[in-house]
Amino acid sequence: MAVRALTRGFRYSRAATVASPCGGHHYVTAPSVKPPQPQADDVTEKILNQPLEKPDFFRVAELFSLKDLFDARVHLGHKKGCRHRLMEPYLYGCRLDHDIIDLDQTMEHLQLALNFTAHIAYRGGIILFVSRRRQFGHLVETTAKDCGEYAHTRYWQGGLLTNANIQYGPGVRLPDLIIFLSTLNNVFQQHVGIRDAAKMNIPTVGVVDSNCNPSLVTYPVPGNDDTPAAVELYCRLFKMTINRAKDRRKQMELLHGLSAPTSQTSRYALK
Amino acid sequence: MAGSRLERFGTVFTRVRDLIRSGVIKPKEKPLWYDVYKTFPPKRAPLHVKPVTSPSAKKQGIVPEIFYSEDKIRTGFYEQYGRGLRALDLSKSNFVSTCQRFVDKYRELKSHGMLDNSSLFEETAKALLKEGIILRRRGAPPVLAESRDPVLDLKLIDMLAEQQSAGTDTTKTTEDKNS
Repeated sequence: MAVRALTRGFRYSRAATVASPCGGHHYVTAPSVKPPQPQADDVTEKILNQPLEKPDFFRVAELFSLKDLFDARVHLGHKKGCRHRLMEPYLYGCRLDHDIIDLDQTMEHLQLALNFTAHIAYRGGIILFVSRRRQFGHLVETTAKDCGEYAHTRYWQGGLLTNANIQYGPGVRLPDLIIFLSTLNNVFQQHVGIRDAAKMNIPTVGVVDSNCNPSLVTYPVPGNDDTPAAVELYCRLFKMTINRAKDRRKQMELLHGLSAPTSQTSRYALK
Repeated sequence: MAGSRLERFGTVFTRVRDLIRSGVIKPKEKPLWYDVYKTFPPKRAPLHVKPVTSPSAKKQGIVPEIFYSEDKIRTGFYEQYGRGLRALDLSKSNFVSTCQRFVDKYRELKSHGMLDNSSLFEETAKALLKEGIILRRRGAPPVLAESRDPVLDLKLIDMLAEQQSAGTDTTKTTEDKNS
């Protein structure tokens, strides 16, 4: 009896603090905060919309070059027999049965993907890194930790995203972006997370190798997902973009005269 | 929050856009990524593509084979000299293998001189030998400084046969002696 009351009280208090379910504007619904809100509204709007005006506000194109991608062996795909039909447009050619990925296309796709990630991080979105490759599990987890974001490199339970409200309690905030360092699971089938993210209307960024299916990934990045050098490059790039975006956000807030981040503008209060 | 779980119809963006348009999702509840996606859409809309079961539609999208003009020289080299004596070090990006040196020398000689293709191969090998790279022909026995020790060519069976014949001889002589 006491336990049930406790849990009910706990759930109620949790529901009250989670005031912004996937919303872009972090408003606390408590009535006492009314007077300074209209001003903060306009400033927040301006802060949020300003980066959208420039094509590369966070200058992510400077973070990598074609030579870096080549040296990290991003262009090496799998053999011809493993090729996925839908990856054919992204391939440069086939050298003695080895698929070579077109790095010009990879450059453009990577720039789009990093730009999108930067904007999401700027707006305080939750980013989840997913990779089922056991070789890089630790690397992905440390990358996520260094950016202040989240990682899931273990077995993906069926209802993680689709049944989150029951598995984790009501009013859970789902990730706003999921980054796949490898879109395949350990049995070389498409990771369940891609389909689930599409179901829950969550955009995805994914590194697709020549044996992967890029159709459901929102921002695919055709590239090698097996070589340690390549995966380290991706982790480094994502980490740098996210940190850059978050620092920029702090700068913009200070610039526009908003005081130290309150519970309105910071999502860290929710955790 | 309302959502649409039909991942096979339209993209994530089109579904959320339609939900906002119809009023199911309120404008202030719209997702974080919506404006960003609208301003920076991906190159290809992430529509679900049905897997093709019939094998007849495999003709589209041919991936070109990558071949270079130097490959002819390379095939000649590998046919004659096998895999080469020096291993390829793939960790260095500026590594020049034996085959690559052969190719470079071949092209250099071709651009310089009036030699025709048949002798060009020999000339390249000679030029490389001058630079200190030894090329061993495939299939030919390895060249040694001195000839093989004749002891190594003896076979055990022959030795036993010799011993047996020597043994019968001695028994014969001892019999002769005894008798």
